[in-house]
Amino acid sequence: MSTATRLYLSNDTSARAAGAGALADAWSEHPEVQLIRISSRGAFFLEPMVERDTPAGRVAWFNVTAQDLPLILSGTDGTPVRSIPFLAQQTRFTFANFGETEPLALDEYQTRGGLSGLEAALRITPDAIIEELRVSQLRGRGGAAFPVWNKWKVAQQTQADEKYVVANADEGDAGTYCDRMILEGDPFRLLEGMLICARAIGAGRGYVYCRQEYPAAAKTLRAAIQKTDEAEWLELDGEPFPIEVVEGAGSYVCGEETALLESLEGKRGVVRARPPYPAQSGLYGRPTIVSNVLTFATIPNILSRGGAWHAALGTEQSRGTIALQLGGRVKHPGLVEVPFGLSLHQVLEQFGGGMAPGSRFKAVQVGGPLGSLFPASQMDIPICYDAFAKAGAVLGHGGIVVYDHETDMVDLARHFMAFTADESCGKCTPCRIGSVRGREILERIQAGSGTIEDLSLLHDLGDTMKVASLCALGGRAPYPVLTAIEHFPAEFRAKLRT
Amino acid sequence: MDEQVKSILAKVRSEPPNILKALLALQERLGHLPTEAVSDIAHALGVTTAQVVGVLSYYPDLRLTAPGRHLIRVCMGESCYANGCGRLLRELQDRLRVDVGETAAGGKFTLDTMSCAGNCAVSPTVMIDRDLYGRLLPSQLDILLERYE
Ligand SMILES: Cc1cc2nc3c(=O)[nH]c(=O)nc-3n(C[C@H](O)[C@H](O)[C@H](O)COP(=O)(O)O)c2cc1C
Ligand code: SF4
Ligand code: FES
Repeated sequence: MSTATRLYLSNDTSARAAGAGALADAWSEHPEVQLIRISSRGAFFLEPMVERDTPAGRVAWFNVTAQDLPLILSGTDGTPVRSIPFLAQQTRFTFANFGETEPLALDEYQTRGGLSGLEAALRITPDAIIEELRVSQLRGRGGAAFPVWNKWKVAQQTQADEKYVVANADEGDAGTYCDRMILEGDPFRLLEGMLICARAIGAGRGYVYCRQEYPAAAKTLRAAIQKTDEAEWLELDGEPFPIEVVEGAGSYVCGEETALLESLEGKRGVVRARPPYPAQSGLYGRPTIVSNVLTFATIPNILSRGGAWHAALGTEQSRGTIALQLGGRVKHPGLVEVPFGLSLHQVLEQFGGGMAPGSRFKAVQVGGPLGSLFPASQMDIPICYDAFAKAGAVLGHGGIVVYDHETDMVDLARHFMAFTADESCGKCTPCRIGSVRGREILERIQAGSGTIEDLSLLHDLGDTMKVASLCALGGRAPYPVLTAIEHFPAEFRAKLRT
Repeated sequence: MDEQVKSILAKVRSEPPNILKALLALQERLGHLPTEAVSDIAHALGVTTAQVVGVLSYYPDLRLTAPGRHLIRVCMGESCYANGCGRLLRELQDRLRVDVGETAAGGKFTLDTMSCAGNCAVSPTVMIDRDLYGRLLPSQLDILLERYE
């Protein structure tokens, strides 16, 4: 009897949306196929991608349809995975397992170095863990880019009867999906990072606040928690360390750390005034570390390889690698992990592969719905916190969305303001009122009845929101709008009433 | 109190009470949150009616009316915007003859928008119930909608 051929196919949500689910259904009863459902490599423009083993490593077929099976089984026309330029030019550390392992196979995770970060953390003191993070110069990946060690130190030094570790899996920025990939594709890495944090600050309980739009992520994570629990490593100092997955209810501002904590407590997700910071007084008034999923997932490697290893990657103020997520009208949308410092142009050409067929470049937005727009003339900006801060921009959570020649910049600006008006939590006036006024003005311009005064009104409104808003939703919302006006003034003027 | 409401609430009882969790659990089972149950919910959780209403009105996903048999959500996030989600939404509005937030005649589909499904690399995205569809063209909507009873 001939044995079935092992074929690897991703079970990632986006791979399934691209057709992997239909492939799996079509081949499910096929005697010659043994399908292994792995995480996705993040080269989504190639999904559904099917791979098989060869003595020289994995070989892949791209954009596969059910009819391609004979070709794949005969082993013809495949491409060696390591010669796919989109992947070969990346520096994968946090995403090293992607495309290689089954997300819930704990043994595979361990074979590939998983849990060695936690083991290293258990061998040293909490102070030494925090010192390792200080040396690493890791900054939070959720948007604010605050030094991680600093928050941990505060939480560690604050006395309390209980402390919490909360993973922010709200991933609200449209155009970002790396947290989703981690939750679905390498969930043990997140749990390992959370345990290391708990050990450092002395926490007894963990939560993952997962956006409701990610049902597969929540399900995978719950299964991973159960596996780690059964394997008896969901504990610290012999005490269980329970981690609960809590799903949100569709509010963008609940990704902001204090609104998230309100929501975890079951209340309206309204932003809390700071200080006190969550590290001092967070969930139920106890010291709480709220960090992004990607931040936690970066930590195991820092403990196992050392802080100095991490600090040696990237640029002066931005150490380590960044997970960029390409979307919009690029030819090659997907996940790109590279050290900080490449230019925006390099990323879009080298990895993005230029524009999608039939599209001409117009602008690119970095950092989600609150991020600035860049025109073609500003593409040499290096991707790192310092250069972006100098340009008045943010990297946010690493989302990069490319807009093409068909984009109506006035409508896009209206879209941004409408988003802020919809999502404002209402706690402070500049954002609550300003966003509604901003939307009205842009609707007026779009309808052809705006005046030149409306444009200066938008600037004034933007300036007020920037300085007077309580959180970054109101504070950053003017940036995409004002950069649209700055770089494409003719489009706005053309719609004004004369 | 309605027996079903009571038994669902009994399962999510906690100290301190968690209003959002209770409402999500109820909605999961009932499909929506009946207005007339608000005071029962408040009573069962040991909080005020105003607190329950406050939470209920805050979160976009909490619904006071039952949606159609299937919930269609068109992603309006930036990657989907760049890839033509506007055309998809207009097409769906035309076909189903509804506006965003409304349920089509016959109660089969409710049309809504969402802000990002994390499917940006395979956009534009439409989510129907828990199924996700990517790289959608307006011309593919017919076949897609036919799959739903
Ligand atoms: C409106 C708003 C939305 C946010 N959404 C998210 C989010 O979805 N995910 C996230 O990790 N951080 C988000 N943040 C940032 C968090 O407030 C917080 O800085 C972050 O979770 C801290 O984690 P880090 O130190 O790992 O970056 C948001 C901030 C604001 C102002
Ligand atoms: S800026 Fe907007 S979202 Fe942030 S606290 Fe003020 S009203 Fe709430
Ligand atoms: S922007 Fe639509 S899926 Fe992310």
